[in-house]
Amino acid sequence: MAKNIRLGLGALVGMLLLRNLYIILFNLPDEMEQGPVYRIFYYHLPAFFAAILCYITALVASSMYLIKKNLRYDAIAMSATEVGLAFAAVNLITGMIWGRISWGIWWAWDARLTWALICWLVYFGYLMLRQAIDDPTERAKNSAVLSIFAFVSVAITYKAIEWWRTQHPGPVLSIRTGKQLIDPVMENMLYMNFLALATLAVLMVIIRLNQEEMQRQIDGLRRRAHAI
Amino acid sequence: MDDRNIQFMFWGLATAWGLLAIYVVMLAAREGRLKKQLDSLKRMIEEKQ
Amino acid sequence: MVFLQIAAKDLRSELRTKESLNASLSFAVVILLLFSFAFDPSSEAVAEFSGGLLWLVFAFAGALILNRSFARELPNDCLEVLIASPVSGAQLFLGKTVASFVLLMTIEVICLPIFGIFYDITWTPQALPLLGIFALGTWGMTILGTLFSALTVNLSLRELMLPMLLYPLMLPALMAAMRLTTILLAGNAIAGNDMVWLRLLIGFDIIFTVLSLALVETILVR
Repeated sequence: MAKNIRLGLGALVGMLLLRNLYIILFNLPDEMEQGPVYRIFYYHLPAFFAAILCYITALVASSMYLIKKNLRYDAIAMSATEVGLAFAAVNLITGMIWGRISWGIWWAWDARLTWALICWLVYFGYLMLRQAIDDPTERAKNSAVLSIFAFVSVAITYKAIEWWRTQHPGPVLSIRTGKQLIDPVMENMLYMNFLALATLAVLMVIIRLNQEEMQRQIDGLRRRAHAI
Repeated sequence: MDDRNIQFMFWGLATAWGLLAIYVVMLAAREGRLKKQLDSLKRMIEEKQ
Repeated sequence: MVFLQIAAKDLRSELRTKESLNASLSFAVVILLLFSFAFDPSSEAVAEFSGGLLWLVFAFAGALILNRSFARELPNDCLEVLIASPVSGAQLFLGKTVASFVLLMTIEVICLPIFGIFYDITWTPQALPLLGIFALGTWGMTILGTLFSALTVNLSLRELMLPMLLYPLMLPALMAAMRLTTILLAGNAIAGNDMVWLRLLIGFDIIFTVLSLALVETILVR
């Protein structure tokens, strides 16, 4: 039954994404200065929000694990972080491609890109730590603590980087995000794509969670099979 | 110049879809692997019993 | 003040062999030497990143010291004994943090004149504020670093994982320390807009000290 829900949700998300893509390509007007390349933005920003959503979920799940000691929360934290990294990668790379045209360079050490990179590395470190620990409880405990530290550090770094970069005016202007888009049609599409990507994220986390559950079953069965 | 603009737009959109598709494929691959392991273990236990 | 006893024990054991101290110090000087090839020490531009350079050296040397912090307890099951003892995890952790802090500060205080000589930078006018910033930045590094030392103590790739996890997470403190040190090395006092960095550094230290003390028991309990 759960499998059907997942399939249904997947189909829904797929349809929404395709519908959005159609509108993005054909119905929306060009942005004044940038030309058609700005349309990348409709994935760049929603992916960012989807990633943030995932990281917050990971924070909550990690905290819940430390309180309740239920390994299910650990699985949620891991799945959310992994999915978050996928969306953060989308954010980073689409940002670079967009920047290549808008700014003329692949990379700029402006506040947001730098912070996005740091964020990605920090949470990748979380996955690396998990890989290095075999015992499930040890792994859950240690990665939960790391996850909490990661979130706090990343939050502080956000502000710090802003101050750092504004004091060193770079060769580029940071791209203004959604708040200044006055065209409601564009803003609406941003929300629609965020809805699509966020739902996709939820779906992916559920699938990943399910796989963790399967892995746990396998470990249990393996012990039984070798005991007989 | 305008041509390059559109080209990069396609690359950007393709990357967004592509990266997500890669992750979906990774998930699917892991699912297949886990299912196989699970099934073979279940069979092994049934045989032994 | 049990943690002071723990700190004293660690320091005593370190001073007996001076293993970590010598290694870190030599490593720091070698890096200063390498940097002199990467960046021209005589150019005007050095004043702009002097703080950054110095803190990179401290960060690399720090990783060596912090790695040893919990790793030194592995032979003969000392770690198990310490955890099982009536000493609370927080005291153990704080003691080790203080020990690493003292060791790292020693290295920094020795590196500063060497740096001044190699890069022709007069640091004496702002010597005391500099020491203050060193202390604040080093505390940020050691409090996080000791926690990660505990976290990675049983991993085989410990020497790699510790810096990999530590450096990105201590970036705010590192940024603030770099900025403030650059200002002080140029002979200026910290004032006006730059105070925000000082506040950031102090805030970072407070937040992560509290967080670490709160969560360290979880990590140490087996």
